[in-house]
Amino acid sequence: MQRFLDPTVLANISSLDLIAKTVVDGFVSGLHRSPDFGFSQEFAEYRAYVQGDDLRHVDWNLFARTERCYLKRYKGETNSQLVVMLDASNSMQYGSRKPVKADYARYLAASLFYLAIRNQHDAAGVIVFDDEVREYVQPSMRQGQLTRLLAALEQAEPRSRTDFFKPLTHLQALLHRRGIVIVISDFYEDPETIVQALEVLRFRGNDVVLFHVLDPQELRPELKGPAILVDLESQQNIEVVPEYVAARYREKLQAHIEQLRTRAQAAGLGYQLLPTDQPLDAVLREYLSVRQAER
Amino acid sequence: MGFLAPWSLVGLATLGIPIFVHLLRKHVVTPRPVSSLMFFERGIQSSTRHRRLRYLLLFALRFLLLLLIVLAFADPFIRRFASDTHSHLLLIVVDRSFSMRAGTRFSDAKQQALSLLASKPRSQRAQILMLGGRVEVLTQPTPDSNLLRSTLEGIQVGDGQGNFGALGRTVRTLNEAAPGPVDLHLFSDMQRTGMPGNFADAVLPPHVDLILHDVAKVSASPNWTVESINAPVELLDPKDTTKSHVQAVIAGSSTPEATKKISFVVDGKTLLSREVKVPANGRATVEFAPLDIKYGFNRCEVRIEGDDALPADNGSVFVVRRSDPQRILFVHRAADERSALYFGTALNAASHGAFILQPVAVEQVTDLDPNKFAFTVLSDVTSLPSIFEHTLEQYLSKGGSVFMALGLDAGRRAHLPLWGGDLQKIRNFASSEESAVVGQVDFTYPGLEQAQPGRDNGGWAGAKFFYAMMVDPSHARVAARLSDGTPLLLEKPIGEGHLLLFASGLENLTNDLPLHPVFVNFVDKTSRYLSGSEQLSGVRMVDSFVQLRNTAETNKSVTATSEVIDPDGRRPLSLADSQKVQTFRLSRAGFYQIHFANGRSAVIGVNPDRRESNLEPMSQEIRALWARGKARTPEAEKTPVAGTKFQYVSLWWYAMLLAFVVAVMETVFSTRYLGTQREEL
Repeated sequence: MQRFLDPTVLANISSLDLIAKTVVDGFVSGLHRSPDFGFSQEFAEYRAYVQGDDLRHVDWNLFARTERCYLKRYKGETNSQLVVMLDASNSMQYGSRKPVKADYARYLAASLFYLAIRNQHDAAGVIVFDDEVREYVQPSMRQGQLTRLLAALEQAEPRSRTDFFKPLTHLQALLHRRGIVIVISDFYEDPETIVQALEVLRFRGNDVVLFHVLDPQELRPELKGPAILVDLESQQNIEVVPEYVAARYREKLQAHIEQLRTRAQAAGLGYQLLPTDQPLDAVLREYLSVRQAER
Repeated sequence: MGFLAPWSLVGLATLGIPIFVHLLRKHVVTPRPVSSLMFFERGIQSSTRHRRLRYLLLFALRFLLLLLIVLAFADPFIRRFASDTHSHLLLIVVDRSFSMRAGTRFSDAKQQALSLLASKPRSQRAQILMLGGRVEVLTQPTPDSNLLRSTLEGIQVGDGQGNFGALGRTVRTLNEAAPGPVDLHLFSDMQRTGMPGNFADAVLPPHVDLILHDVAKVSASPNWTVESINAPVELLDPKDTTKSHVQAVIAGSSTPEATKKISFVVDGKTLLSREVKVPANGRATVEFAPLDIKYGFNRCEVRIEGDDALPADNGSVFVVRRSDPQRILFVHRAADERSALYFGTALNAASHGAFILQPVAVEQVTDLDPNKFAFTVLSDVTSLPSIFEHTLEQYLSKGGSVFMALGLDAGRRAHLPLWGGDLQKIRNFASSEESAVVGQVDFTYPGLEQAQPGRDNGGWAGAKFFYAMMVDPSHARVAARLSDGTPLLLEKPIGEGHLLLFASGLENLTNDLPLHPVFVNFVDKTSRYLSGSEQLSGVRMVDSFVQLRNTAETNKSVTATSEVIDPDGRRPLSLADSQKVQTFRLSRAGFYQIHFANGRSAVIGVNPDRRESNLEPMSQEIRALWARGKARTPEAEKTPVAGTKFQYVSLWWYAMLLAFVVAVMETVFSTRYLGTQREEL
């Protein structure tokens, strides 16, 4: 089933619903063979009582038999709320291969929504933004929520520029419950600015994960000759030479990634670099681990 | 085609096309979109430098391609020292004509020729020719430098005329005999008069490269010369002013108007002097009279006093012989009085007493010795006393001359004395309605000589012939024929003598020739020719020939010898030559003493060809045409030709081959660049 997670294969599937189903089914079936985790609402473990623990979680039957106080722990016993912030600026339409970054981000979001709604019974919502909030679907578990989310993703065509502050200001007003906030973007911004904008969500008790989507050509660009490069957002152009791209550019990009990763982790944000040629299971794995940690 | 040819310049202009394409035309690069320019930096200078470096290779290939094509059509060549010097013959021609006596021309020519010979590769073959008068081949093709050098050093300046037409004929003959490439080096003053009237005579074979070495230091030098002399060959009476005078024409070439002093010198002593004003580049006539000369041969000269560019041509020599009148034995039938009358009258009218006619009846000639007469005339005498006939045969064989006319009496006898044959036929035109006339006349024959004969066949057309004898013309020169083809005047050499046969009579019965003026001229010239007075003195031109004897072979036990003493007093004929040589070439200017095989002696004045006195050189156009555009510049000619053997190797083929290789390389590189651009797009 792993091949169904390959982005190149997914790019040939026109329906986001089908893409999400393919990804998640393939991913979950793979996990069932794993000895590590179970994702039902069943018993997970006992833990010794420590002062301050909620007495409601004490297994009184066990205490009656053994006169020892243990807490009984379950997994997934409560629903969570997933909000995906999808960057739909012009820079996301770049791609040296299929899928482009915007499509990859949509596959990614669709897979998350499918997993959250169909498998985890979580509420899910989406915010499509560029330099402003273009689309907002409130997190919900109502019937047809997945359809609405996928429709919102279908309409999220890249345009304009990226601005993290405007949509976040809007999001703070919209988010009343704590939950998981996943930001999907190429993050062409100063890492400090990005973290400053997103750590507010963290302060409100949300688990924030940054999915950094980059094209392989952006990570390892190859230029055989001098070329004029045009910025998709600002439409500015400059002439660059292969020598610079082969050395200096990569250094600067790696420094940017590293700084973003470091700053995000320092601020308690999750960070995951996602080249568009990588399978999507890493994304789902990250979501589940975050959800597990949230419990 | 040279590089300055219009098409070559147009081709060179096309070299600007790749320059425009590569350096002037703005380079267009299709922009590439990227997500963000956040991590990119501008690199224009480096980019431009790199692109130029890469495209410069393509530019260089395209530029080289066009340059090679232009080069190929310009037909470049390299001049390299030929390794196959054995195949090229070095032909050295030294002009030794009379005009080379001017200044240091001849010594300069010899020096330059020796320098050329010294720079010759040891293995290269060379041949030496001498131009002047006739072209003489002095050596065979040989690499022997010592032989060639000694031959060159032995060449002396001559008095002949340099004729480039003769040179062309000689070289063509040599090249036909030994085909192969030849480098002809001509050391000459390049006289304009040396070029023949028909340029084709001077044209050289295609394998012969002509290199001209002009030794004339100035373009044209002023020079006066005695162009022509009008003087009597024989003089009977010095006081007879009608004949005792000398007329000379003084001519100048490239000369200003000048008064020249002209002297008349006889045997080294100046008898008369005149001053004459010669116009610029013009002619003037001077006359000397009377001629107070002694008996015998007088060596005369008309001399221009003073100096000019060519002093050697300031004098013109000639010989005047003073003698008493010569007798002519006129043998006739006793009944024939008319022929002696007509012949004698014509002789007196023409020669002014130079000849005295002695008519003798045939019956009275037995004891006469013909050697005491200038020549003998047999007028209609076919029956001679046997003793006299034998005497005449001896006389003829020793160099005597007999003029025989056949009249009415000849028709009655079959035998023809002295001639060696019988009468074949009698042509009696009187029986027919129309008489015969003279049809063909050889005006080069001395007895009939006319420089410009008139339309009436030189005066002979009016003469009517009623009666003529047909004789065997074999071994005889026919000088004139009647209109029906009958030989009228024939000459047969017998021994050292001449027998002249007139096939009709000298009276007015067989023809009316004696009544026509041309008869006087005929008698005069025939008398002079047969008497030998024209041959014995006078003036000739250098390189003309004199006939020492009639036949080269003699069957007599006692061989008749001839002798020649040249102007320097030397005897150019060896003992063997003096017994068999038939003709002798007068190769030097001056006075020749000649003793003929027939026992007669003569003194002849010999002058150079007066065309040699005109020192004007031929034009550069003529030189270029003669050398087929390969004539070297004067500077190059002055420089000794080091090596002298150069081979012109055309690079056309190599240029085209290289252009093809470059075209392939250009295709490969341009395809690669285009492929790269597609990938970038």
